[in-house]
Amino acid sequence: MNATLPRFFWSEYRKRHKRAALITFALFWGTLSILLLMAFGQGMSTQFQVAFKGLGETLIMVYGGQTSLPFEGLPKGRPIALYPEDIDYLKDRIPEILRIAPESYNFLPVSANGKEINRTVHGTTAEFGVMRTQVPQLGGRFLNAADAAEGRKVAFIGWKVATDLFGSADAVGKTIVIARVPFTVVGVLQKKIQDSMYNGPDAEQVYLPFHSYQQIDNRRRINQIHIQPREDSQSKLIESRVKTLLGRKYRFDPDDRYATSFWNTIDDAKEGMAIFKGIEIFLSIIGALTLLIGAVGVTNLMYAAAKERTKEIGIKLAIGARRRTIIAQFFLETVFVFTKGTFWGFITAFNIVHLIRLAPINYDSFGIEAYLLRPEFSLRILVIYVVVLGVLCFLSGIFPALRASRANPIESLRYE
Amino acid sequence: MIELNGITKVYRTGSQSLEALRGISLGIGKGEFVSVMGPSGSGKSTLMNIVGCLDTPTAGEYVLDGENVAGLTFDELAAVRNRKIGFVFQNFNLLPYATAWENVELPMLFDGKNAKKRRERVTELLNAVGLLDWRDHRPTELSGGQQQRIALARALANDPPILLADEPTGNLDSKSGEEIMAILTELWQGGRTIVMVTHNDHIAACSERIIRLFDGQVVA
Ligand SMILES: Nc1ncnc2c1ncn2[C@@H]1O[C@H](COP(=O)(O)OP(=O)(O)O)[C@@H](O)[C@H]1O
Ligand SMILES: [Mg+2]
Repeated sequence: MNATLPRFFWSEYRKRHKRAALITFALFWGTLSILLLMAFGQGMSTQFQVAFKGLGETLIMVYGGQTSLPFEGLPKGRPIALYPEDIDYLKDRIPEILRIAPESYNFLPVSANGKEINRTVHGTTAEFGVMRTQVPQLGGRFLNAADAAEGRKVAFIGWKVATDLFGSADAVGKTIVIARVPFTVVGVLQKKIQDSMYNGPDAEQVYLPFHSYQQIDNRRRINQIHIQPREDSQSKLIESRVKTLLGRKYRFDPDDRYATSFWNTIDDAKEGMAIFKGIEIFLSIIGALTLLIGAVGVTNLMYAAAKERTKEIGIKLAIGARRRTIIAQFFLETVFVFTKGTFWGFITAFNIVHLIRLAPINYDSFGIEAYLLRPEFSLRILVIYVVVLGVLCFLSGIFPALRASRANPIESLRYE
Repeated sequence: MIELNGITKVYRTGSQSLEALRGISLGIGKGEFVSVMGPSGSGKSTLMNIVGCLDTPTAGEYVLDGENVAGLTFDELAAVRNRKIGFVFQNFNLLPYATAWENVELPMLFDGKNAKKRRERVTELLNAVGLLDWRDHRPTELSGGQQQRIALARALANDPPILLADEPTGNLDSKSGEEIMAILTELWQGGRTIVMVTHNDHIAACSERIIRLFDGQVVA
């Protein structure tokens, strides 16, 4: 391509596009809309996943219950409780289990620093920390295997427990007294967003090594078992094998829906993701429709240009311009109008997203703003945007270009 | 070079139809200088447009340089207009936003000639019509005579064997008209086939032969 043709195009383009400000704005606005809506849609999905991870990795939680079916001569209505031995019993028999941890808890008085508060205190193992994303703040740690082996009196506490007892001072190394037994704080939970919970947010909890916990709560039975599958897809299989194995051990019908109960976060996650994906698609379509308005404007503009330039087109045809030369000019021009309109929309959207992301999120009350304040861009959004833009640009350019190129030279020359 | 057989052109506007050309048959040989004369509305422009491949006849056969024009596609016709025929209009038809240089260059751009060739040829042509100093001026900054000389230079850009001129001097004062005629005569002497429409007997006298049209038919 030589430089003269583009220069001609440019002269023709300049002539009319001072008037095209409104269309440029429509393209700007359309780009802004589609990009922002997609960024918010994706941001919400991401935040949902982050918040969901606040509870932990994809988990199956197992609880005891009460039989609702008679089994091998035993009556229905028998309570079924879980015991610490069940951990090894299940782990040894179900190879699909990646991690498994027991959990017991009780609402107990916790005191330190001259203050006393009542909090849910839990007994569990090191594995629990990984499964339930118990990430310690700098300078601390979660409970570990040595704590369990040596029966250490240590505690890992939520960040709100730490501030409630010690204010802004570092809690690590301090002593807290639970049911008159002293424990040393070894870690404080790092702030995280969590939208899924039992017994309140992790920020308010106190965790002790399982055996140390048993010394302040003499019930032998445990409240629940946490299981992390090797693969999410194995969660249903694990559920049914747990029922069968526990049914054999505690003698209940594996089909008894009330003897044990399960909370499978994998199902919740899938459902939540489906909803957010739906929102994302919906927002993208709205954005694309906004951009479509701009595209329709460009089509009008190009039709008007084709008409206005009838005479010029006639001259070009008369001296030997081929059809594709005329089409190319109109196309180039359409692309240029689009680029001009969308470029600033793109830059603006990018900056708005960046600015919004600077807003802080309150981790203590993970509300709607946590979903709205974290829009994000991704390669996927960029690709969708470019494809939508390309299709719209092509469609807005092709029809006026074809119309212009089909002119009869002599009729066009006669046009005034 | 140009052979027309029973060329008819009917214009339809709404329910009206007007027979602008009624069975025109004529031949123009290579290197001839022919004038077309006739009263206004007799079909001279219509004939020139068909000869120049700008328009198509309603009926009849047009053989240009041994080739039947009826069989050519849109782009093939464009190529004929680009390389074989130079067309000069009464009202110049220059691109208003392009400079004199660019107007002359354009047919070569459409022909895909390289920059060096274009530069040489445009310089040569602007020199020949005496307007090299006006190369950067736009048509509105030029007089009618200058515009027509630019249009003539443009028509010659791809060195076509045939030059068609529809009342090239019609909008010009007599001095400018004479300048144009001098160039046309020179071109004819250089071996080009020239067909020119005119109302002016004095101008027609420059040519070898006169074709007279009346009411869409050749009269002499
Ligand atoms: N595009 C057109 N539509 C309808 N009638 C036309 C058109 N072009 C020319 N005519 C008519 O055809 C006749 C011949 O016109 P034209 O070839 O321009 O004559 P001339 O050039 O000899 O003055 C005239 O009556 C004119 O009105
Ligand atoms: Mg005429």
